[in-house]
Amino acid sequence: MEKIISIMGWETVKTIVGLVGVLIFVVFNALILTWAERKVAGHMQRRIGPKEVGPFGLIQPIADAIKLLGKEILTPREVDRPLYWLAPVLIFVPVLVSFVVIPFDASLQVRDMNAGILVILAFSSLSVLSILMAGWGSNNKYALIGAIRSVAQNIAYEIPLLLALLPVIMMANSFSLKAIVEAQQGLWFVVCQPIAFFIYFIAAVAETNRTPFDLPEAESELVAGYHTEYSGMRFALFFLAEYTNIFIVSAIAVTFFLGGYQGPFLPGIVWFLLKSYCLVFVIIWLRWTYPRVRFDQLLNLSWKALIPLAFINLLVTGGLLKL
Amino acid sequence: MNFAEIIFLFIIAVTMGGAATAVLAGSVVYAIMGLVVTMFGVAALYVYLNSPFVALMQILIYVGAVTVLIAFAVMLVGPLYRRPKEWTTAGKFGAALGVALVSLLLFVRFVTETFPRAGAPSFEMTTKDIGRLFFDDLVLPFELISLLIVVAILGAIMLALFARGNK
Repeated sequence: MEKIISIMGWETVKTIVGLVGVLIFVVFNALILTWAERKVAGHMQRRIGPKEVGPFGLIQPIADAIKLLGKEILTPREVDRPLYWLAPVLIFVPVLVSFVVIPFDASLQVRDMNAGILVILAFSSLSVLSILMAGWGSNNKYALIGAIRSVAQNIAYEIPLLLALLPVIMMANSFSLKAIVEAQQGLWFVVCQPIAFFIYFIAAVAETNRTPFDLPEAESELVAGYHTEYSGMRFALFFLAEYTNIFIVSAIAVTFFLGGYQGPFLPGIVWFLLKSYCLVFVIIWLRWTYPRVRFDQLLNLSWKALIPLAFINLLVTGGLLKL
Repeated sequence: MNFAEIIFLFIIAVTMGGAATAVLAGSVVYAIMGLVVTMFGVAALYVYLNSPFVALMQILIYVGAVTVLIAFAVMLVGPLYRRPKEWTTAGKFGAALGVALVSLLLFVRFVTETFPRAGAPSFEMTTKDIGRLFFDDLVLPFELISLLIVVAILGAIMLALFARGNK
């Protein structure tokens, strides 16, 4: 160990160990979330949810994963092969990159970059591109319609998302996620920026393509949207990316508005995960409470309500900070 | 050749490959993907030049906004399965010559004269300085650019309305 560190340098070793940890966490998180989603859905609809496999059905996601892994990897005949193959791989890049800069605890962070939040925001656009590739490459009308919807939705909601994060960046005076958490000692930013938090959360739910904004994969009209033609392991990759994205948007919300890893008594990582999974629960809760919005409602909400509101919020924050 | 040079050449190769795909691809979707690769290559060059902030902005704006918008426009305008109209050979050569001349002029005019040479002191500029420049010394061109974008958006809306038939 000492020798490896001396050859490669401490930073490199830390990054590699961190990335491996991130991969384990991604898989573990997806397993828990699929279980939680089914359990929450079940109880909200006065059912029980999975209960046969293991205690409280806890081993159910592992059984599902083995099933998906065991399936034949099908490639439909008429697909655009390079795009079709590349899409599920590419959707994972932003997920992994985002985890690199998220501070789980004061010292538990793969890399603290001074432009941390920009890394996440810049790479998150890649997921739109991979959805586009999946939709176009599948050579299927449902997939293509889903992809087009996804692009329109992402363009519309990326703007309020950015504008909601900017006031916090102005208040903390830094792009580094760790500095933002440290700036919230004593007072969480959600107290002084409730509107920004609200806008961010709505935009984040839309960015993850979850109900009530799940038009890109609306089952009742588009079969499964952009991943209609995917099965087996490739489908599992899309699924994994989706659940990890839910965690990432919650983690960013916690970092920006809810004090990150800060909290009394318990160690930081416990606070961080607790807060994050509370927000994840809210997102799941939303899915089983609200119906899907219509497409014009979706776009009107962003362009006519959220973006002007976010701009006003940004201007007021800037003005107050200058005073 | 040392390690840094190999990385530099690799970045250049990826960027050029993306650019070539963007220009030569038969399908518009592949052309967009080529453009994305080029943008990432340029961003990597910024990282190589020790400007991670500019690199991230490049990805955020050009990959996240511009290419996605282009993709959106392409998907709205028409049947994707049809190949775009081919240029004539004379047209291709003319365009290539034009682009080559303009890039050569730009290169001679700006790159060789304005940019610091190797060994010169490195370019120190923080985001604060960039912000100050935009809102102090360069405020007029900065605002003119935003005016230009507003005019372009208005034009696009008008075109879309006329195409639908409501005057």
